[in-house]
Amino acid sequence: MIEGAIVAEELTYSYNGLLAVDHVSFSVAEGEILGFLGPNGAGKTTTVKMLTGQLRPKQGRAYLLGMDITQHAKKVQGQIGVCFEVTNLYEQMTAVENLKLFARLFGIRRFDAEVLLERVGLAGRGNDRVETYSKGMKQRLMVARAILNRPKVLFLDEPTVGLDPTSAEAIRNIILEERKRGATVFLTTHDMLDAEKLSDRVAFMNQGKIVALDTPHNLKQKYGRRALKAKVLSRDGELEDREVPMDTPDTPRLVQELFSKEKVVTVHSEEATLEDIFIEITGRGLVE
Amino acid sequence: MNPRLVGSLVQKDLSIFFRNRFFAVITVLGIVLYLVIYFVMPKSEDATLTIGLYAPAEIPAFDLLGEEGLEFEGVASEEELRQAVIDGKVIAGISLPADTLGRLLAGERPTINVFFAADTPQETRGAIEAVIQELGYRMTGQSLAIEVSEEVLGPDLAGTSLPPRNRLRPLLAALLIMVETMGLATLISEELERRTIQALLVTPATASDVFTAKGVAGISLAFGQAALFMAIVGGLNQKPLVVLTALFLGAMLVIAAGFIIGAVAKDMLSVLAWSLPVIIIFVIPSIGIAFPGRVTRWVEIFPTYYFMDTLHRASNFGAGWGDVWQNLLILFGFDLVLIWLGVVVLRRRTR
Repeated sequence: MIEGAIVAEELTYSYNGLLAVDHVSFSVAEGEILGFLGPNGAGKTTTVKMLTGQLRPKQGRAYLLGMDITQHAKKVQGQIGVCFEVTNLYEQMTAVENLKLFARLFGIRRFDAEVLLERVGLAGRGNDRVETYSKGMKQRLMVARAILNRPKVLFLDEPTVGLDPTSAEAIRNIILEERKRGATVFLTTHDMLDAEKLSDRVAFMNQGKIVALDTPHNLKQKYGRRALKAKVLSRDGELEDREVPMDTPDTPRLVQELFSKEKVVTVHSEEATLEDIFIEITGRGLVE
Repeated sequence: MNPRLVGSLVQKDLSIFFRNRFFAVITVLGIVLYLVIYFVMPKSEDATLTIGLYAPAEIPAFDLLGEEGLEFEGVASEEELRQAVIDGKVIAGISLPADTLGRLLAGERPTINVFFAADTPQETRGAIEAVIQELGYRMTGQSLAIEVSEEVLGPDLAGTSLPPRNRLRPLLAALLIMVETMGLATLISEELERRTIQALLVTPATASDVFTAKGVAGISLAFGQAALFMAIVGGLNQKPLVVLTALFLGAMLVIAAGFIIGAVAKDMLSVLAWSLPVIIIFVIPSIGIAFPGRVTRWVEIFPTYYFMDTLHRASNFGAGWGDVWQNLLILFGFDLVLIWLGVVVLRRRTR
């Protein structure tokens, strides 16, 4: 019996001999949101393609909802939702027509597109052709399409990239609502804020391998470095930055020296971000 | 393959097709334009028959026949007469030996050689024989016992006496079908380039469902238009089942061409660039029908030859299953091979 909504075992894929995904193993529990982070070319999309049955792994296996995706692709695909990074809607059709088409493909008999459109903030625009939509509206429609079959596992590839804050927040809320409904969410993103806000755990992928996988809190505990950041007034009247590392034996002395020897204007503590931790682990940034 | 899913996808494809203004316009305009072309063309052929004549002896009766719509063109030798027939300068040639009149008057049966062009239809041959009888009657005032020796020069193509518009009918129907190559190829290339196919393939729909739907949509468009056209212009008056079968198999060719072009093209412009040469190549066999004798057997290398030849013979001469089954079989074979090739190319592209 396979435990977990998503289980990857030694997943491997190469394009013309170039290893894109290198023996990746992990599992995602039912109802969990996993943030999948990594720079462009790290192998995230290829991993998602294997997990969703779009690519057959060269080695290893992927199980979704307890079923081997390569053997039961269509059965699995009937129970998952996928939101792609690139907008791939039928732009000559209206939003309602797009959703109804996919509802029919999923075999949903009673489907009310307007209810779903209202949920993603597109109420009243359902009968407009998608080609007239803004990027944010299209992305919301992509998310609506991904959730119309009430998927047990939801794959979202960069769902908030390039969106205005309102659209991005709307999509974050939908992701949380889906989790609340019981869906497992596999969230591929560059956006550390999304990852931190939404994910129960995050996986860092770099050069085809998962280099870290844990809760954001644990990763920060393990790899993060807290610091006290201060702005001080120099002798010539300019503001200068000072940083005191926290959680070291010298921290109390250094803090005391800062306040006794310098004219401190502002001071605040700063936690490591997931980006800092990614750099710490891989030596490269998430956005390259 | 799931018929319910295929039905939904066909509905989607047709909806998208008709929302593309270019294809919607050329589909509707195509039918209207081809109908106009058909109906403005002459519905009967020129009644004057030009017959070559080799007659060493002077026969005054020919002048009398010339007044009745027959035109005779004298040649210097029987060899020249044969060449004139082969070159299509005359529809038939009559060779009257120098002693014809003498033998007739002596009560003997003279032999008259008649040469027919390769594309002289049976009814014209009958008319020429009547001319010869008439000729004898005018020379002697009574029916004569003469021996007529007929020789057909070149392969028998038949059909010259058809009105030009009926001769063009297979070409117009084929053009209607072939233009849909572009429509189908555009549907496919847009599906691939816009990556909507990825969204389809992560649902319960399979690649086979998607390709089948494209094929059904393409056949519906191509076959539907051509059948409508043929019905309006009387192309279904003779052997409708044979004609419809030929149209259906011809529409399948469109599917194959559309799959291949759709897989290699990047956008509508490149679809047009790829489609035009294919369409031109595909309609070449129709030249042999519109202008008999201008092309020879080499056109049989084109799959559309079997389509157009069947359409021509069935709709214009009432050819039945027994006459055209080989054509249909070969066309079906081409369909299977080309569709298989199209699916292979498409599958490679969708990986």
